[in-house]
Amino acid sequence: MRRLLLTTAVATTAALTLTACGTTEPAADDAKKTTERITLTDATGTKVELDGPAKKVIGTEWNVVEHLIELGVDPVGVSDVKGYKTWDTAVPLKNEPKDIGTRGEPSMETVAALKPDLILATSDLPPAAVKQLRKIAPVLEVKAADAADPIGRMTENLDLIAKATGTTDKATELKKQFETKLEEGRKALADAKLAGAKYAFADGYVVSNQVSIRPYTSGSLIGAVNEKLGLKNAWTVKGDPAYGLGTTDVEGLTTIGDVQFAYIGNDGDASSNPFAGVLAKDQVWTSLPFVKKGDVHRLPDGVWMFGGPGSMSKYVDSVVAALTK
Amino acid sequence: MAVTATTPATRPPAATSRTGAAPVTAALLLLVVALAVVDITQGTASVGVPEVWKALTGRADPADASVVVASRLPRMAAGLLVGAVLGMAGAALQTVSRNVLASPDTLAVNAGSYFALGVVTVTGVSLPLFASSGIAFAGGLAAAAVVLGLSGLGTGTVRLVLAGSALTLGLTAVTEGLLLLFPLQTDGLRHWNQGSIAQNGFDGVLQMLPLAVVGLVGLLLLARRIDALALGDDAARGLGVPVRATRLTAVVLAALLSTAAVTLAGPIGFVGLCAPALVRPLARRFRGFTRTRGSLPLAGLTGAALVLGSDVVLRVLVPADVAVAVPTGVVTSLVGALFLVVIATRTRDTAAAAAPDRLRIRSRSVFLTTTAVLVVVLVGVVIAALLLGDAKLLFGDVLNWAQGKAGRTTAFVLDTRVPRVLAALLAGAALALAGTLVQAVTRNPLAEPGILGVSNGAALGAVLLVTTVPAAGSWGVAGAAFAGAAVSSVLVFGLAAKGGFRQNRLVLVGFGVATGASALISLLVILTDPFNAIKALTWLSGSTYGRTTPDVVPLAAVLAVGVVVAAVRRTELDLVSLDEDTPRLLGLNLGRGRLGFLALAVLLSATAVAAAGTIGFVGLVAPHAARALVGRQHARVVPVSVILGAVLVCTADLFGRTVIAPAQLGAGLMTAVIGTPYFLYLLVRSRRG
Repeated sequence: MRRLLLTTAVATTAALTLTACGTTEPAADDAKKTTERITLTDATGTKVELDGPAKKVIGTEWNVVEHLIELGVDPVGVSDVKGYKTWDTAVPLKNEPKDIGTRGEPSMETVAALKPDLILATSDLPPAAVKQLRKIAPVLEVKAADAADPIGRMTENLDLIAKATGTTDKATELKKQFETKLEEGRKALADAKLAGAKYAFADGYVVSNQVSIRPYTSGSLIGAVNEKLGLKNAWTVKGDPAYGLGTTDVEGLTTIGDVQFAYIGNDGDASSNPFAGVLAKDQVWTSLPFVKKGDVHRLPDGVWMFGGPGSMSKYVDSVVAALTK
Repeated sequence: MAVTATTPATRPPAATSRTGAAPVTAALLLLVVALAVVDITQGTASVGVPEVWKALTGRADPADASVVVASRLPRMAAGLLVGAVLGMAGAALQTVSRNVLASPDTLAVNAGSYFALGVVTVTGVSLPLFASSGIAFAGGLAAAAVVLGLSGLGTGTVRLVLAGSALTLGLTAVTEGLLLLFPLQTDGLRHWNQGSIAQNGFDGVLQMLPLAVVGLVGLLLLARRIDALALGDDAARGLGVPVRATRLTAVVLAALLSTAAVTLAGPIGFVGLCAPALVRPLARRFRGFTRTRGSLPLAGLTGAALVLGSDVVLRVLVPADVAVAVPTGVVTSLVGALFLVVIATRTRDTAAAAAPDRLRIRSRSVFLTTTAVLVVVLVGVVIAALLLGDAKLLFGDVLNWAQGKAGRTTAFVLDTRVPRVLAALLAGAALALAGTLVQAVTRNPLAEPGILGVSNGAALGAVLLVTTVPAAGSWGVAGAAFAGAAVSSVLVFGLAAKGGFRQNRLVLVGFGVATGASALISLLVILTDPFNAIKALTWLSGSTYGRTTPDVVPLAAVLAVGVVVAAVRRTELDLVSLDEDTPRLLGLNLGRGRLGFLALAVLLSATAVAAAGTIGFVGLVAPHAARALVGRQHARVVPVSVILGAVLVCTADLFGRTVIAPAQLGAGLMTAVIGTPYFLYLLVRSRRG
């Protein structure tokens, strides 16, 4: 009897222990996954080898940070956290990542101290800095932007980051959602008889008495999204080969004719909204046909114009809302 | 303009023309009008000659008319106003200080305004134009006051320019630091840095016009007294002219004028320096311009022609959209630099070489003590530089790292930190040595790789290579920097060699080349990589960011050679730095030796620039301080100067890496911030001594 009790006790304890093991420790196949190596080729042609899906990831540019957050990977380090919080509220940070310095010169020492599994950088970072970062952890360097195919560049970057973080399913879902969003937006605009409408998007800066305006040509991410929405880009100026951004001044606006004009400013940056400020009294501005007709739309703050599907989806919503109002 | 070398310096006044002044003025006026008319027809809107004509005759459609009225005409007016005001301010400053280099740029007026506006911009307060011009005026005047106060009214012109360039470097460094720290708030300010005459409506021009009128009228009322100052302080005093009050009033009025320009269009470089320089040869030929009443308006007209001409040329040469992105100030700097170099080589340099700094003779024990203290300081700074940074380490970490058994993070931190510390140490030492050599050879206390355009030439070469071949290696960048430095130094020293590197010519040509090169760098960045200005700013601000050990190797090799050569030929350095005649009396021909020293200095500055960007100040401060500490024997000056340079840049780099970590400031910015107060102190002290 005693033996039986003992055996039962031991068996029960063993059983309990065994079940407890099963719930607290990672499942066997989980453990197997981490040993699965991931090999990627980044935008520079460098082979990037990972021991498994990266968990502790650092982003040196805001677009890759946005991709990460959307894929459900909260970055452990981000450049200029305050700036990100000001300019990108479409895809807000869900954690409090460590600030690793400026976007142009992230601090190697802070990055090293974070002991990341993976560093996401863009081609905007000097090659010397990338070389040093590669000594800390694998660096996936993506091309920051490409005016030849802005949306394609964005989704390719998203896919690459998804592969590195083991979130390809999420990426597929995001891309599908974005496609749907574009299709819905296109339909909404077409229903409002705005298909093929001439449209110009810009941002602008003002200092002292001078206004500079930055046109988003069809090579820009927002310009490409506009075309998917069935809008016609009214800018004739040439954009730069990466971001598709041009430069012009107020009188340059006379060349775009009668259009729907939209812009994004930021309340956190006093110099970023000349359109509702300095220009209100400017004769050239007030005599523009679209200004006279009231076809100037300020879109909500916090859409990062160079971001990912999250920012762009919010942009689609705000354009549709503004134009069909 | 043809003041040839055969013309006697004391050309009798009878040779000047009595009647020529009116036609010359008329011709210049015509040129300005023609430029103004062309300027109105240029811009991003498709409003050309026919539309402008219609608009002016009231027959254009309202849109075109609005472009002419609210964009073209204000821009043209701003160009005229800014140019005129800067030209006059420069002319007044040059006359009262009897210094061809005095101008809003060199008296730190622009830098002071820029700094004041930068501080206000960073706070995020948006001010109306008038208030911001008040702030700019306060900043500009304060800077000018500091410069004049430190150099002493009516004392040597060299001191004035030294103090002015020092303060300009320091203030610009702080402002640029603000730009790097607050890129969002100051995005527009960065553009403003180079100045543009574009306007939105007449508001700005109309608000600044009264300031300009007050300044001009004031200066004209003061004209007779200013003329008297040109005779020298004692002569002026003899004529019953209150020297101090006159000079002070003229400076305040000139500051007022340049503030008007700076608030309206940002700093339009070089016009204040260049317009009076262009007028000077005319003043020699035509009697009407010898007096301030004649030359001041003429300088104004010349300034207007320079600014408008630059704007017109730019818009003719590049497409309208690109022209918008290129600041007017970049073009005036280029145009101005060219003119300045031409003028500097054509006019006679009557200024004698500067009196040697008054130095106490130091004993051997002073030298030994100084060196010992400096070595201790150097060791301390190096240790601090290794331990401090974004991540703080302890000495044990460094020891572990040296033995190759440090942890992964520590190893990495030191792997990236050590090359940076090395780059800073070596660049500082190399620049200090280069400064010592150049100052000895040219016997010119203002001669410094930075001021003479060698550093900027090197930076231009390096930036050219980096923008065209992004993956260029360390030796490649060093080579490109050397090519740039070689071209600029051949230009500067070649043009200034005639007449034995005289004070004004050397510095004028060097200053011209330096400004021209930095304008070209800005232009290059705007045209090739318009949305990555921070990258270029970082490069120009002198940074050790991202340096690896191989980057430092060329510098180390050149520095080793330099130190050895300087040590071996120390006596020769002593002799060339003494005067022109002593070596000749001793039967020495120093031509070849001089050339060798100069080549070495150029090589040193080029490799320093390639390794750590343009770091100003060190080449000027370190040799000066070294001479003040240990006397003028090169056997003593060279080691002390080299250690001082290393300490200075290493400390600057240390501060740049730690103060605002994880963000960083360039070592060049920090050098200027640390160097400026010390240098100004040096100036004050040497006045007493």
